[in-house]
Amino acid sequence: MAEPTVPAIFDVYRYDPAIDREPRYQRYTLDLAPHTPVLSALLRIRAEIDPSLTLRYSCRSAICGSCAMQINSKSRLACETHIGPEMERHGRIVVEPMRNQAVLRDLVVDQASFWRQYSLVEPHLKLDPAHPMPEGEPTSMTPEEVERFKETPRCIACAACYSACPAVEADAGFPGPMALAKLYRFVVDPRDHARQDRLVRIQPNGLWLCLRCHLCTEACPKDVRPSERIRDLKEMAIAVQGATENGSRHAVGFKDNIEDRGLLNEMRLVRQTYGTLGMLGQVGQGLRIVRKKPEIMRRPHAIEGVDELQKIYEALDPEEPK
Amino acid sequence: MRLAYYPGCVAQESGKELDIATRYVAKTLGIELVEFPTFSCCGSGFVDEANEVLNVAINARNLAIAERAGLDLLTICSTCQGMLSLAILRMQDPAVRSRVEGALRPLGIDYRGSVKVKHLLRVLTEDIGLDAIRARVRRPLGGLKVGAFYGCHLLRPADELGWEDGEEPHAFEDLLAAVGATPVYYRGRVMCCGFPIQFVKGETASRIAGRQILDAKAHGADAMATPCPLCHISLDAYQNQAAKAVERPLDLPVFHLPQIVGLAFGASPEELGLPRHLVPTDAALAKIGAARP
Repeated sequence: MAEPTVPAIFDVYRYDPAIDREPRYQRYTLDLAPHTPVLSALLRIRAEIDPSLTLRYSCRSAICGSCAMQINSKSRLACETHIGPEMERHGRIVVEPMRNQAVLRDLVVDQASFWRQYSLVEPHLKLDPAHPMPEGEPTSMTPEEVERFKETPRCIACAACYSACPAVEADAGFPGPMALAKLYRFVVDPRDHARQDRLVRIQPNGLWLCLRCHLCTEACPKDVRPSERIRDLKEMAIAVQGATENGSRHAVGFKDNIEDRGLLNEMRLVRQTYGTLGMLGQVGQGLRIVRKKPEIMRRPHAIEGVDELQKIYEALDPEEPK
Repeated sequence: MRLAYYPGCVAQESGKELDIATRYVAKTLGIELVEFPTFSCCGSGFVDEANEVLNVAINARNLAIAERAGLDLLTICSTCQGMLSLAILRMQDPAVRSRVEGALRPLGIDYRGSVKVKHLLRVLTEDIGLDAIRARVRRPLGGLKVGAFYGCHLLRPADELGWEDGEEPHAFEDLLAAVGATPVYYRGRVMCCGFPIQFVKGETASRIAGRQILDAKAHGADAMATPCPLCHISLDAYQNQAAKAVERPLDLPVFHLPQIVGLAFGASPEELGLPRHLVPTDAALAKIGAARP
């Protein structure tokens, strides 16, 4: 029985740097069943209409992680994104290569930076040389230890998160969500001996550039939830190293700031993050703002019941002897 | 309608104009804002980075205050909305719940989980409704092209917050259309404003803000509007830095959500605190006939 079809309009990004001066969008219109994956449609376009269309794919089953691209601006696997909902929402399907990576041709990007960031977190077990794994014997983990990995072992390295990340877009030094989620996976591995070193090394120009915008968590086809694991890494990093970076000083400073009066003291926080000397660099911008918003200079009032809040801190955030 | 009003820190200090505009809109629509001097800061995502369970406990205390009064919470900040919502969710984890209750119970604080947290955007579009909003419009915005800028924590993680689509929301654009503005659709509307790393690496933060503002402009926006005062700091108070970072002039006025609604209801710029903005709003006001002579 023939399935009902809908007209599907594709505007596909085309660019061959060897020939084209600039990218263009090529329109293809096909009649397709609503549940047709975008990847199947692209392969049909290539087979029946335009053999020059270049894309990367392999398994067609959301396992290999090869076909990530932008579909109506969202970073997604083409093999598991159906055309029906996209047509309903947008009236057309704009297909573009992933962001944050240079285009090699059409929908294929150069993934060198993505893989370089991945290798920089050293995604392999580092064992304690004094306690090598017993040869020929299985090692075991408790269910609690396995639980700590959360969803991170499910990552298929498709780079959809890397494509969606505004911190990667703005700062080439940022490792990106996938590399950090992978780092988390080794930090919580009970067999790994380099936990502390990993948490110290990832902080400068790394961990604290995460914006916690959660765009990676939306993009991830495997629900790895990189943004939430990056949060976990931040708390663990403060636990092993204290507040030594702008980012950790700001997080810890903010926490301590609230304990005082219950509301944020904006000026005090700037001092906590930058130090009194470092504040000098902020004076110009501060004066611009103060003219319109004089309140930033004053201490906020204390909330009623601030003692209650302080008792919560005593119970859940005790001063640690350093 | 009575709601527990949770203004958050910024609207009580540098973002006071947001509080002023919220009160104007609430009064016009007959929303009674019940105030609690006991509310603390939500932790703004930073306390969550330093100590997740503490952050949940701080917000469980805030939630319990509204719950005891039998009121749902009204937030006017995307980040407050996100933090309070996530506290509700995290409290469903038995391990987190038992630690938080261990700290709250001795203080006589009992959080049961019956309270709802709603951002002003949701109250206006769902509870008040667009028809009631339209009925109050005295100064339709005359097709002013406005780029909504949502703020991450209002939208994501979408499966946990359970309201709008995390990447393709429409509530704000619906509201803008209801008050006579022309919503501008651009990718940046759901992106990050850069604020969380303003104090980590200011130049990167400003580049991120600048890109979103440029994106709105490239799509023809006369102004942006945001439901988040932290985004407003990045987009307005630091717009000069954003312009420097993207090496382009920006000069795009940025409204708080209730300011754009208040203008449509007929409020004067002063009644909405508009003179407090760093980027002048005059050009946008002139387009809707609200500029001072």
